[in-house]
Amino acid sequence: MTAVTESAVRRRSVDWWRWSGRLFLVLLLGFTVMPMIWMIITSLKTGFAAMQYPPQWWPAEPTLDNYTRLLDPSGRIGQDFLHYFWNSLWVSTITTILAVVVAVPAAYAFSRFRFPGRNFLFFAVLLRNMFPAVVFLVPLFILMKALGLVNTHGSLILTYLTFGLPLAIWLLKGFYDNIPIQLEQAARIDGATRFQAFIFVVMPLSTPGIIATSIYSFIGAWNEYIYAYTFLTKQSQMTLPVGIQRFFSENATDWPGLMAATFIMSVPVVVLFLVLQKYFVRALTEGAVKH
Amino acid sequence: MAGVILEHVMKNYGSMYAVNDVSFTVNDGEFVALVGPSGCGKTTTLNLIAGLLPMSGGDISIGNRVVNDLDPKDRDIAMVFQNYALYPNKSVYKNLAFPLQMRKLPKAEIDRKVQDAAKLLDITHLLERKPRELSGGQQQRVALGRALVRDPAVFLMDEPLSNLDAKLRVQMRSEIKRFHQDLNATIVYVTHDQLEAVTMADKMAVMNGGFLQQYDTPANVFAHPVNTFVASFVGSPAMSLIPLEVSGNALRSPEGWELQLSPANVRKAAGSTTKDIVLGARHSTLKLHKSVVPGSVPGKVYTVEPTGDVTFAQVFINGAVVNISLDPSVIIAPDEMVWIEFDQDRMHLFDGATTMALQAA
Repeated sequence: MTAVTESAVRRRSVDWWRWSGRLFLVLLLGFTVMPMIWMIITSLKTGFAAMQYPPQWWPAEPTLDNYTRLLDPSGRIGQDFLHYFWNSLWVSTITTILAVVVAVPAAYAFSRFRFPGRNFLFFAVLLRNMFPAVVFLVPLFILMKALGLVNTHGSLILTYLTFGLPLAIWLLKGFYDNIPIQLEQAARIDGATRFQAFIFVVMPLSTPGIIATSIYSFIGAWNEYIYAYTFLTKQSQMTLPVGIQRFFSENATDWPGLMAATFIMSVPVVVLFLVLQKYFVRALTEGAVKH
Repeated sequence: MAGVILEHVMKNYGSMYAVNDVSFTVNDGEFVALVGPSGCGKTTTLNLIAGLLPMSGGDISIGNRVVNDLDPKDRDIAMVFQNYALYPNKSVYKNLAFPLQMRKLPKAEIDRKVQDAAKLLDITHLLERKPRELSGGQQQRVALGRALVRDPAVFLMDEPLSNLDAKLRVQMRSEIKRFHQDLNATIVYVTHDQLEAVTMADKMAVMNGGFLQQYDTPANVFAHPVNTFVASFVGSPAMSLIPLEVSGNALRSPEGWELQLSPANVRKAAGSTTKDIVLGARHSTLKLHKSVVPGSVPGKVYTVEPTGDVTFAQVFINGAVVNISLDPSVIIAPDEMVWIEFDQDRMHLFDGATTMALQAA
């Protein structure tokens, strides 16, 4: 009998913890999701409805006007917006491609080869990430100016690479460390050159890592604001985070338009995540368990 | 098939010599086991033969061709790894086909060879599976299949059985031995398990500290170990070694007793560089008595381990542990005083200073 009551008591205490945990998660979820919901709701309102007080919890007259305005290439706002969007896409994509192209061989070398200065170099790579990004703002601006890159996308791509590469190299190195070296040795004995062993055996196995790395650098570049704001003054060069600012005007901010633009800006990231999340999770948990 | 010749092979990392002046010849069709404790240089030696590591010195030839500077892919070898190293993203079929694809064989021929190898190893029903869907024994077979599908000159095997459970290991041991006989394959096989080496190999190369200690048939290594390391490494239980001193025609113990030597053994003992001698004896050559008999020495029983058909006893003699095998009918108890009789014709004498086996001059 005592055993039964004891286990009952224990079960109840476990449940109490579980429920408080769930409550906490629900609060956390609300905290993260609410702004997004409000963003979407506001983007469906008219300018007048957005400013009403007390607020309309649900738009009385939902409208897609804000979206059509942004995506209409014949209008002035649409033209600008699509141009910023294209700039962002271009900068982020090139950054991602370059990051992967550089990080893959670098990470592989750090993982597989023993060369003089290896530990120092790897530490130096990580050292970059120990400083806040803003610290480099002025030095990099001076550097870009000297190189004549101010007001070009090249300045942003170079800057984003300095942020994205260390993380990409670090992430990928962990990935290569987990691929048994015997697989490459087997491939080399089976008739592959060192390079072929890398291409045919190592690369397919590191695809999840490469995808995760790509997502990281893409999102990093896509969302970056401070450097884009500093390096770019020409309107034709601006990326989305900077361009969206133009919705704040001196007299009246176009809130629904701003929210619609923000929503469209977050779409590529969300889609990328949803499509590739299984690789992403695998990359972050790789090596956690033996398999 | 072809032979392998190692001549003065060296591999050093800075001042650390992983492989130190190793020379031996593997004849065509021979099964040679490289055996030794972990860190003795056996796997490094195998990797040097494979070409996975650059040599620091010496020559390696495979089938009358010096391969020192050849890539692994050009050495005409196949290798089976301890962790099998099957390509995890490829099916069994593609794992087997990979070495053939790399050599750009026509598709039909690849298919024929893969099917043949699969039939030989009884893995035809597994061809469409991924490696992770296979049991350890099945993975082992696939690894063997990938090695033999190409019909290489030499098979290199790096502890291929050590990841298997005990029962499967015994089974795969006989399969690999059978595989060697059927294919008349030249095999260089690395293991830390002397029993695998003794049971499977035509010859065994015992290594320690980067040096080749002895290279001979298992029977000869067992019967005539060249030094105390080989003596204590080969055989289970190991050969017992008792440090003693020469005194005239006898070996004397600090405990006070003396063991008279036969004339042949006296001549051997005379070859020692110092007075120190290590007496070696295998468990099966010793006799246990409950009272003093001529030519026996006193000892104290430490443990008694019945295994069914034979009982092993460990006896302390002069501070050294001596293994003895007994008939199960013999009843002795721990801490009992016993007398151990040595077989003068089958005892081993080693130089106490150099650890080398002493030969009759």
